[in-house]
Amino acid sequence: MAAIQTTSLTKTYKDLIAVDELDLTIEEGELFALLGVNGAGKTTTVKMLSTLVRPTAGEATVFGFALGREDAKIKEIVDISMQETAVARKLTVRENIELFARLAGQSKTEIAETTKRVYDDFGLGKVANKKAAELSGGWQRKLSIALSLVTNPKLLFLDEPTLGLDVIARRELWRVIENLKGKMTIVLTTHYMEEAEALSDRIGIMKDGRLLFVGTKEELYQKTGKNDVEGAFIEVVSGGDGNA
Amino acid sequence: MRDSLSRLYALSKRNAKEIVRDPLSLIFMIGLPFFMEILFYLLFHKQTDQFQMIYLAPGIVVFSQAFLALFTGQLIALDRSTSLLTRLYVSRATSVEFILSYALPILPITAVQSILFFLVGGIFDHGLFGWRMPLAILLSLVTSLFFIGMGILFGSLCSEKSIGGIASILVACQSLLSGMWFPTEGLGDGMIALMDALPFRNATQLLQNTVLGIGNAWGDFFRPLLILLGYTLVAFVSAVLVFKKKMKA
Repeated sequence: MAAIQTTSLTKTYKDLIAVDELDLTIEEGELFALLGVNGAGKTTTVKMLSTLVRPTAGEATVFGFALGREDAKIKEIVDISMQETAVARKLTVRENIELFARLAGQSKTEIAETTKRVYDDFGLGKVANKKAAELSGGWQRKLSIALSLVTNPKLLFLDEPTLGLDVIARRELWRVIENLKGKMTIVLTTHYMEEAEALSDRIGIMKDGRLLFVGTKEELYQKTGKNDVEGAFIEVVSGGDGNA
Repeated sequence: MRDSLSRLYALSKRNAKEIVRDPLSLIFMIGLPFFMEILFYLLFHKQTDQFQMIYLAPGIVVFSQAFLALFTGQLIALDRSTSLLTRLYVSRATSVEFILSYALPILPITAVQSILFFLVGGIFDHGLFGWRMPLAILLSLVTSLFFIGMGILFGSLCSEKSIGGIASILVACQSLLSGMWFPTEGLGDGMIALMDALPFRNATQLLQNTVLGIGNAWGDFFRPLLILLGYTLVAFVSAVLVFKKKMKA
């Protein structure tokens, strides 16, 4: 079953076309990296598919549920880690996890299991009783991402998850994402080409709201004649003339 | 229904913790009015009736409620600025649950304010103790709704940086237009009419008249109550509409 299927999905803001007739299929269990320069339409696409933004035109289904008509069903199986850190600052790490677990309708036993799982996956146990506001930026980011896994989603959107993390924290997060591969469908937007290269099963490249390329890394290399994602990305978005 | 209540409980508990764990909120909502109640009573109660506890205590209760708007608004504005609200919006919680979760935790806080300031008043003026005090405490929950609604409205409209200034205007209005800090006899008819048309003096008089004893049911009780409820309704409806619009944006 396709996790995501869109047909001519479009979002416009007054005169700006943020996403232009997007046709995209992402299979269940896939880790799909969505690449693009700033303003390419990646975040708008993610926000539409996670029910946060209403499309202007087009159709989309998420695990068979129609976007716009069955948003409540979609919300039950989808979660998102936003570009910006989003945590309850005066709650402790444990209280943050419990809040999101309770909002997902988990029982006390399930909340305890979830908390343990998140502590183990992200190493958050050692700061469990610290208020989020007292954590460093890196730890806050880690908690923010961890909260999107509390609900055990079937489809997870990671919108530039490693933005602002140092190299060690980024590698740690890569390890977590790699562990998630196959357990859920993941759509990852990123500016870091090596991230897409290391983690993704397939890559989509967007520019000015349009999807210019979809395929595996090998297909991308073959199409562009390059042997790394960054070079191939520049080739695709510049249309071969090197100007993005 | 059960799921909805569980989400509402989780969000309300979180919002209560966010407010109570801010030392500034406790200073302004409890500490400052407590200090002012005692200070103004001790300094001026012999000079003017205005500062007799039977007038001062209900006035202080409503004055302290004006800070509820500031801290409710601040919490919402901060949640919006940090994307937490957007993030929570992907959960199954609805707009109504979000708005109620900001309003409900404030009620126990206002109950604490009201009980404390009436008890302090009663220590200085035993005449305050009696069956009218619990009635005034219950009514203070009604008067607080106006300020909570304004807080949700301000928080949905303003940025984290501007909310302090905007909410301070409301606190200033409550101070200047409630008639609690100065005698209103010398003011012109136009000013009195304005004060009577706005919610601030009506909220204060509703509680003052309740503890003093209601002579004229319409003028002393129902008229100020209805005016206040009208403003509360407008505040909440506007807050819900703006909150929903902002969330969609």
